Amino acid sequence: MVAVVVALALVVALLGVLVAGLLRSHADIIRALHSLGVGVGDPAGSAAPDHAGHRPPGPAPVDVRLSGPPLPAERSTAVHDLEGVTPAGDAIVVSTSSSPLTLVAFLSSGCVSCAPLWDDLGDPDRRRLLPAQARVVVVTKGPEWESPGAIAAKAPEGVPVVMSTASWSAYEVPGSPYFVLVDGRRRARVGEGAGRGLAEIADLIAQAAADAHPPAPAGDPSGATAAGAATAAATQSQATALGLNGAEREAHNDAVLRGAGILPGDPSLYPRRLEDVFASTAPWNQPDGRDDSASGLSAPGPADR
Amino acid sequence: MATLDAYGIEARLPSGFEGRIYRRVPVGGAQTYPVAQFTTFALPADTADFGGAYVDQMRPTDIFAVLFEFGPDSLGKALFARVGLPTRLTPADFSPYTLRRGTKGQGGAQVFFTQSRRPFTLYVVLGSYSQRLVLVPRVNDLLAGLTVRAPSPAGVP
Repeated sequence: MVAVVVALALVVALLGVLVAGLLRSHADIIRALHSLGVGVGDPAGSAAPDHAGHRPPGPAPVDVRLSGPPLPAERSTAVHDLEGVTPAGDAIVVSTSSSPLTLVAFLSSGCVSCAPLWDDLGDPDRRRLLPAQARVVVVTKGPEWESPGAIAAKAPEGVPVVMSTASWSAYEVPGSPYFVLVDGRRRARVGEGAGRGLAEIADLIAQAAADAHPPAPAGDPSGATAAGAATAAATQSQATALGLNGAEREAHNDAVLRGAGILPGDPSLYPRRLEDVFASTAPWNQPDGRDDSASGLSAPGPADR
Repeated sequence: MATLDAYGIEARLPSGFEGRIYRRVPVGGAQTYPVAQFTTFALPADTADFGGAYVDQMRPTDIFAVLFEFGPDSLGKALFARVGLPTRLTPADFSPYTLRRGTKGQGGAQVFFTQSRRPFTLYVVLGSYSQRLVLVPRVNDLLAGLTVRAPSPAGVP
């Protein structure tokens, strides 16, 4: 009998310890939730009364207040000039507003995936896969991380190479190879991501252009009008660049328009809406991407990447 | 503001400018000296010191500027008698005839000077001579950010 009582006492004591532990654990959880601003059971967090002043039946909703540090923002779309040194040790700054489009290729000398890209960039025929108006700039990490000699051996002829760790940080490059496409006029990133070869990168750029400018529906004259406006803007820029004025300039513009199939009386020459004038095509699709006409690229966003 | 600093030349670039400061690899025992190029357009990697054919492709609103150092044997020569890096040019300093390549519509200016016992020439091309009233202030913004230091004791600028 005594043994049974002792055993029961031990069991009760053990259960008591377990319950105490559970209560303590529960209290810790409640305290942690409270420190996060989740007021479970807090009268302040109960449901708001209706117009008549009555609270709805059922459990009070949990009011979640963010009191901790803010979550990290989305990747920035800001652009930065590329400031560093060349593999030869010279100082270089590449402005991302110098071209309508700048394709920044973040590469490394040692990464296996970068090897075909170095080769592609060194091949003028492969480089032609990219839009003609896209300026390619290779950015490697700085001399503190990369061997200038190794980069010089891989540097494609005719392509600026900037060694700049700061640019990798500024563009939040997650690894190499990585590409960022910058619209120089709007000073904004219009696309970024990884690719295994220039053909793939060219496809991504074309896709970004198509996303920015979906084809006009059949029967919608604005597409033709926009093309006409873009052509007219380009011819104006060409004429200015050639130093033409007056009758010479008019004759030049007429010739370019005729060459583009736009003859006197063409409806694209008579826009009816403001959108018809300013809905120009992307700069890399324009006859002269260096003109000063407004870019029609859409605002960047996650979908653009 | 992007900054270039090499070979004793420092440039704080105004918005829209890019550039590089380099020194060509000596060939056949020849001595080379620093060259600084600044442009408002995409500067090709193989641009000649004074721009070469790429100057012909400038837009009317473009600017090309080069700071070209000569050897110490030019010190004291009459051509480099002017002392101090020009910090301000006027539209009257530009002419359609001061161009190494006579490109129609463009205007240029060239100044020889000595700064910190280093002989230089500053050569500037405007994409459009007729827009010099607008472009020259931008050139002056660039010049205001340029600094030339004295050559190092080792003789390497």
